[in-house]
Amino acid sequence: MTPEVMLAGGYASALMLGALALEWLSAHTHRRSIRYRTAGFAYHADHDAWTCPEGEYLWPHELDHERRLMRYRARAHVCNACPVKERCTDSDHGREVVRLLDPWPHSEAGRFHRVIAVMLVALAGLVLLVAIVRNHAPLELAVLGTLLGVTTVVGRFLLRDLRNHPAGFPEPTRSRGSRSWSSRS
Amino acid sequence: MAGERRGLLVSKGWIQAVILVVLIGFFVLGLLAYRTYQAKPPIPERVVDPAGELLYSGRDVERGQEVFLNNGLMEYGSVFGHGAYLGPDYTADYLRRSANYVSRSYGGARSDRAAQRTTEDFRTNRYAERTGVLELTAPQAEAHRRLVGHYSRFFSEPTTKNGLRPDAITDRDDLRALTAFFGWTAWAGAAERPGHNYSYTNNWPPEPRVANEPTANVIVWSVLSLIALLGGIGLLFAAFGRWNFLGWHGREQATLSFRTPGDVALTPAQRACAWFFFVMAALFVVQVVVGAASQHYRAELSSFFGINLAELLPFNLMRTWHVQLAIFWVATSFVAAGIFLAPMIARREPRGQGKLAFLLLGALAVVVFGTLIGSFLGVHGLLGDAASNWFGLQGFEYLDLARIWQVLLSIGLFVWVFMLWRVLRTRLRGEHAANMPWLFFLAALAIPAFYAIGLIAQTGQHFTVNEFWRFWVVHLWVEDFLELFTTVMVAYMFVLLGVVRERVALTVIFLDIILYSLGGVIGTMHHLYFSGEPAEHMALGAFFSAAEVIPLTFLTVEAWSFLQLGAAQESKSRTPFPHRWAVLFLVAVGFWNFLGAGIFGFLINLPVVSYYEIGTALTANHGHAAMMGVYGMLAIGLAMFCLRYLIPAERWPERWARISFWSTNLGLAWMCFATLLPLGIAQLYKSVNDGYWEARDLRFLTEDTNALLEWLRLPGDIVFIVGGALPVLYIGYLGIRHTVKRVTLEEPEDILFTEVSEPAGLPKPDVEEAAAARVT
Repeated sequence: MTPEVMLAGGYASALMLGALALEWLSAHTHRRSIRYRTAGFAYHADHDAWTCPEGEYLWPHELDHERRLMRYRARAHVCNACPVKERCTDSDHGREVVRLLDPWPHSEAGRFHRVIAVMLVALAGLVLLVAIVRNHAPLELAVLGTLLGVTTVVGRFLLRDLRNHPAGFPEPTRSRGSRSWSSRS
Repeated sequence: MAGERRGLLVSKGWIQAVILVVLIGFFVLGLLAYRTYQAKPPIPERVVDPAGELLYSGRDVERGQEVFLNNGLMEYGSVFGHGAYLGPDYTADYLRRSANYVSRSYGGARSDRAAQRTTEDFRTNRYAERTGVLELTAPQAEAHRRLVGHYSRFFSEPTTKNGLRPDAITDRDDLRALTAFFGWTAWAGAAERPGHNYSYTNNWPPEPRVANEPTANVIVWSVLSLIALLGGIGLLFAAFGRWNFLGWHGREQATLSFRTPGDVALTPAQRACAWFFFVMAALFVVQVVVGAASQHYRAELSSFFGINLAELLPFNLMRTWHVQLAIFWVATSFVAAGIFLAPMIARREPRGQGKLAFLLLGALAVVVFGTLIGSFLGVHGLLGDAASNWFGLQGFEYLDLARIWQVLLSIGLFVWVFMLWRVLRTRLRGEHAANMPWLFFLAALAIPAFYAIGLIAQTGQHFTVNEFWRFWVVHLWVEDFLELFTTVMVAYMFVLLGVVRERVALTVIFLDIILYSLGGVIGTMHHLYFSGEPAEHMALGAFFSAAEVIPLTFLTVEAWSFLQLGAAQESKSRTPFPHRWAVLFLVAVGFWNFLGAGIFGFLINLPVVSYYEIGTALTANHGHAAMMGVYGMLAIGLAMFCLRYLIPAERWPERWARISFWSTNLGLAWMCFATLLPLGIAQLYKSVNDGYWEARDLRFLTEDTNALLEWLRLPGDIVFIVGGALPVLYIGYLGIRHTVKRVTLEEPEDILFTEVSEPAGLPKPDVEEAAAARVT
């Protein structure tokens, strides 16, 4: 095998690993950020309830289908009498905590990481293709071909994942800027 | 008055910690400044051959440095590893060529004796401090005379085959002086520092012919800084895992209603910002186009798709425009965002601020175009010596601009701070000096203050001293003080939007100052491992800059994640969050901070890696990912935030914002991963395996596989320019075309949102309902 083939194969593999690491990292970052928002609160899966730092239970209160999340709420009179309420909530209807229903929640930051990951895999594919075009020994073709196969599989997995997790951002006020621009031209 | 002042919102401990960290950092930096002047490599008064005949004088070295800088050659090749990377590193190049000649004259590379004598010739320090005379051996002297011929031919080349303009330098005295400058740097690179067994540059460049190998310091401090990094990360994660000391008790968001852009009345100065952002976008477009052209020189040296570009726009001109504009357009955005935010913080704007803003923009335009034209005149040799320095280009990489523009820019930035003060002063009077309005003002003040430090570097001054002060701007100003101002500004944006409480924002700012200053201030020295500084600069620089990676990782993965858009999506705002793309650009900043500054930066930060790597594509890889990734994305993000209010809601081009976001990020990632990273790794391998000189050689860079790598980045570059930069320009154009008409001088308290105590129609919670919800 020529050094170029080894380099191409090695680099393409490294890119794929990088893409997968990114995929994991974005999930991890998001889990962390969720943890910050519920810091001090503990979730009890067996009761499907949370306890707050002061020991009060928060019970399920509303299922938000649109945003795929469950809202939990503490009893209003307990919160309103709580000495640390000021640090916890402004609401007079009890503190609310949110649990996301999907294990891998929709988030734009996650999408950003995912798209970059897909790009890395696409680049790995391109590197392998270029190497295949330039090198034709049977062993080289076998190695590069196998890696290209792996790239396709990984790429499809990431793409499907990306498609399954739309950003779900509420559309902002409709843009009329580009329309008026095109109508003028 | 004092009684009405709002007290400090966070614990005093934060201020004490910040003061302590900053004081220690600058105290050490002060000591290192003193050591720089004391231990820089001496410039001999006379350099002679054994017969006592003068080869070159100290004046020649200074003159050669001026020729090097004023002709923009630091934007073509490098010295001590710093500069541009198309041409060779002249320190390494001179050393290699003269060592080859000396070795041949002693009997050739095969002879052990010749190798030994060559090494002796170069390593022995024959500089007599008392007389100021440096005596070279006869073969070294002969080598120098021959190299005068070599460099004369190279720089007076009548064609553009080197990527320089034809007949770049033809004056014989200038060519002699230039060679003298290269010769002096090569001497400092190999001659042993008195009392040590390594050279003035810690044995850089790597050159087996003169026994230049990594010193003990290079290895030991690499290992220690690695340990500092691992230990630091471990400690930090342990600490934050255990104590939730940022005080985020997962406080519930109040339900907000964001004001729709267009409902927010703007002040005259804020409206003036539309022009700033349009200029910013225009400069951005020019910068990337020029960057693509300079990149093209690496793929095709003597033609630009068939046109001989170097006749008019040689590589070094493209490169100096590229790096200068990078600073200019980012600075334009920061300046504008500062002007835009100030009235929102103060809730008022004094009369005349709008006119001042336009005046400032005019001054900025003068500086920018003056710099571009001056560089053109300087690189084409159309100015005399003194004029070139004042009106052409000074030629320090990143501080290329002529002195007059450098002075004017510093003054302009001070005027900008004065403008902020005009707006903020009543508000400042009522606040504790460590609350957010003051931090905003002080962080802004640090920007001109530290930019002005760059004025200490002067063309005719000792190169090592210049490099020391230059990196106060390139590192300390860019990586610390811009970062600080950014943090304050972004935190303030979120406070103004009502999604982060002031106390939390303040905590984040203090934490940020502490973590960045801890590593970043002394870490400035990581640029100066091999610039003629003594070993302590390397030791402290490596150790502390490793600690710099910690906040990059930490703040990215942990602290700022709470700013993720997720928060805005869960909160039950009645009106959609208007800053989707501004915040996404900030998310991208976090990503690039982690990848570009953290990972790619640390990749080249260890002295032992830097020793072989400095001045290769791995540096460019870090430079692009960190400079564009962090500051570029930030500048665009700030522009998006402000433009959202400047453009009426119905005109906001959501689609172009989206295209621009994805294109800039994908284009940049492609640029790094398709070309810069793999090419840099190939160069590093080549450098360790065959030699540094070989790794920088154009023959290696343009060989088959590497040329392919250079071509591979083309799709990414096109996506970046067409899909990334041009839409920003279009959005900037919409900003000036349709600037929101409502003008005011007073702003309401909650300018950007109204708080809704409880959304209507939400059922009162009770136990039964909760149980019912559980069933669903």
